[in-house]
Amino acid sequence: MNFHSVEQENIEYMNRFLVFLEQRQGVVKQASIEAWKSVQELAARSGGAVISALLPGPADTSRLEELMGGDGVVCHADDEAFRLYTPEGYVHLVMERMAGEGCSALFFADSALARDLAPRLSVRLRASLLSGRLSLSAAGEVAGCTRHVYAASAEATFVPARPISITLLSSGSRASSAIPGGTITIKPHALCGASVDGFSQLAHRIVMRRDARDVAEAGIVVAGGRGMGSEKGFALLDELAELLGGAVGASRAAVDAGWRPHASQIGQTGKSVAPALYIACGISGAIQHLAGIGSAGMVVAINTDMHAPVFDVADYGIVGDVGQVLPRLNDAVREFLKKK
Amino acid sequence: MHLVVCICQVPDTASVIGFADGTIDRSRVNDVINPYDEYALEEALRQKERLVGSTVTVFTAGPPSSGDILRKALAMGADRAFLVSAEPRDPWQSALLLCRAILSVYPEQLPDLLFCGKQSTDFQSGQVPSMLAELLGIASFSGALSLEATSVGVRAEREIEGGSEFAELRYPVLISAEKGLNIPRKISIKGVMEGRKKPLEVVEGSIEEPPCVILRGIVPLERKKRCSFLTDAGELVELLRHELSLSRAGEH
Repeated sequence: MNFHSVEQENIEYMNRFLVFLEQRQGVVKQASIEAWKSVQELAARSGGAVISALLPGPADTSRLEELMGGDGVVCHADDEAFRLYTPEGYVHLVMERMAGEGCSALFFADSALARDLAPRLSVRLRASLLSGRLSLSAAGEVAGCTRHVYAASAEATFVPARPISITLLSSGSRASSAIPGGTITIKPHALCGASVDGFSQLAHRIVMRRDARDVAEAGIVVAGGRGMGSEKGFALLDELAELLGGAVGASRAAVDAGWRPHASQIGQTGKSVAPALYIACGISGAIQHLAGIGSAGMVVAINTDMHAPVFDVADYGIVGDVGQVLPRLNDAVREFLKKK
Repeated sequence: MHLVVCICQVPDTASVIGFADGTIDRSRVNDVINPYDEYALEEALRQKERLVGSTVTVFTAGPPSSGDILRKALAMGADRAFLVSAEPRDPWQSALLLCRAILSVYPEQLPDLLFCGKQSTDFQSGQVPSMLAELLGIASFSGALSLEATSVGVRAEREIEGGSEFAELRYPVLISAEKGLNIPRKISIKGVMEGRKKPLEVVEGSIEEPPCVILRGIVPLERKKRCSFLTDAGELVELLRHELSLSRAGEH
């Protein structure tokens, strides 16, 4: 058995950053573009890093320059083989790029793909693997990566111990300002080296939901718990989310009752969300649920029990039954949007 | 079929975690099996029940106190357990310790199917499964929501942002379990009795390689906010004027 621990000591690692751009069905993900901007900002502060990007799979690149901002080269590996993610194919591609460019840092937007791929790459590159938001020193240099641990009861800062690092940037670490326009050059990535046959993949496909708004990516999340009473009770939340262009989340109790799919669960055994506005309806606020909303901005709670722990982490609260409060709230929101 | 499950212990979220001098005060912490690892173990046990003659072997890399969770795993129905006695300092060290232990137990041929939890609930990094698969040089599938074993491999499904991903992979393969994969069984008294008779081996886990990542500091988060109670939904909308405006702006 071989350990794939490749020591690449013959390569001199410079201040070169590589940003991984993820495409889904030919569209470059917004989160990847945000990651690119964060890295541009970082490079501007630390002075003189060279940034390039890697985009695997066929994708529409016509508006990339305008969307991305900043300076750099985008290597587009538009081979059909990269349309869908396979660990072996993507590992091969990223390794080739990292070595070819002599990069010392690789950045991803945090995603299901990145969480699957990055640990493999970290083993191959003997790299430090970090995730969360970049924490900066007083001098503006990267001092590590900060994220919530222990059910969001604490925040931990991790620092790399290896010369090469891989960072998964969470959605909370977006660039604070607009990136000045520069020159983005898109060039095709010619595959060299071995074929990208997987060692094991027999079949592979993805199916997108019609309502593709994901709680983990939404700017507004309205979530329901046991207090919604039934699957039907969530219709009020679907209506509110539709009005606001947000996504509907659920507590573990609501998911375990079969009212909502697991994909919408927020909390310790569900997702962590970081919306600007979080509205918790009929959710008591067990610590396991609160673990998932540690990065939410404004928190609003609606619950019949005024002593429910959810009010301890809320900015605004309404004590009342969701069946009565939500129809009034939906009407008020409709009025507000009409006036706008 | 040889089935392997890697588990770890985590503090029960119901227990109070204190912080002092930038570290965790574990004195009032009650340790349990990481919830995601229970889904992993349950899935392995179901495969074992489906294919007569299969065995489930459980590994953990941790302090001697992790023996407790291995006993629980044996009580749930696993056949044997290995405690790799060590204090891994980052996910890479954990993966390396587990990899070496698995290779020493299976020197000739790797187990067909290996399971891990998707992530631990304490540090939530979720890095060990893919690292372990890479070290073992095998295929993997993270965050499985459903799984079907066939004669040549597995069909698995996971959730991705806004949809689902389906893959069919050949053995040997490592699966990390997501909540929703199954509902773990309860431990029976009979299981506990039987579990006590099953082999639990302690092996010294030595690691010379330094960690790749260092925990620089940990600070408690003050989550409490002062909640303003309102009576009227209209009033709430006025107060949320700013947030609501932002929401629609993102749409266009």
